[in-house]
Amino acid sequence: MADEFAKGLGILTGGGLVWMVLSGWYTNEGFESTQLFGEIPSGLGTYGQAAIVLRDALFWFTIIGVLVFWVVIPAFQQLREA
Amino acid sequence: MTDEQQTDSGEAQTDGGGTGIVPPDDETPTWSERKARTQGLSRLTYEYFERSRREDQDLRQESSYVERDVLAFPTWPHEMIRNLSLTSFFVGMIIFLSATLPPHLGPPADPSSTPAIILPDWYLYWSFGLLKLGPLNPDLAILGGDKLMADRTYGVLANGVIVGAIAVVPFLNKGSARRPVEQPFWASVGVGGVVFALTISVLAVQNLVPMDTNLLFDLTFLLPIVAGTISYALLKSMQEGYMYDLNRRYYRLRPPK
Repeated sequence: MADEFAKGLGILTGGGLVWMVLSGWYTNEGFESTQLFGEIPSGLGTYGQAAIVLRDALFWFTIIGVLVFWVVIPAFQQLREA
Repeated sequence: MTDEQQTDSGEAQTDGGGTGIVPPDDETPTWSERKARTQGLSRLTYEYFERSRREDQDLRQESSYVERDVLAFPTWPHEMIRNLSLTSFFVGMIIFLSATLPPHLGPPADPSSTPAIILPDWYLYWSFGLLKLGPLNPDLAILGGDKLMADRTYGVLANGVIVGAIAVVPFLNKGSARRPVEQPFWASVGVGGVVFALTISVLAVQNLVPMDTNLLFDLTFLLPIVAGTISYALLKSMQEGYMYDLNRRYYRLRPPK
């Protein structure tokens, strides 16, 4: 169980860190306005669009990964033991 | 409770000897009384700690590792490798964050205009909240309804009361408990203190809280008491199932008061 927790924590911190950096680069409107969750800017180049795709992918990877390792797998193991 | 831990073969284990840990009072249930707890939180507590103790024992008996009586590990290489890896990680994280997300550099401060909201840094909100204890400042009949001191003086003195209370705690309790369940009263005092730190911080920013100010003021002092009472009740019922000689190997160097 501790292994599953560590994997979930690694996904949360690692994925969240890269997501935070990409969001800080592309969807940070300003210090005193929306941070990290701002509108996706238009007119992005190839690298920018790739970064936005990676940002979305990392977002869901973090959410789903944490849920899988902290909720789904332990619940499945509990069910199998019961 | 025996003085020597014996294995099945009669050989003394290296962590044997007296536990050095004593229950705080005579009302602590005996071993058989604890085993007789068959339901509720005390049973759950007993089962939890007994399972972890048993797992620890099984691992220890399967292992061929010979435990020695050492006070600590050598600085080199054991401690240094661990410390250097931790240090490298945090230094690398600081460099990474400062390179990828350089901090915002705002416009210069304008000394001729006062901002609408003036607050200290968040970790000083509790002290800022103590300056808003005006309703607690008593007005004395002997002074014809006047207050003995101004509200702001009262708030500043309140800081001394809080700091004094925190400074006195180590003299009242030596901190020999290894888990909150071992000393429910002091653990609940701690819970109350933490909750009070949060509520007094919320009181400091009462303008921003969508709540009636008087209600917020009352909750500031009631919530810590409620939280402390609940945690005391929980820990007290857990204590009935708790075994005081758990984990003695880890705490032999730190005898109780």
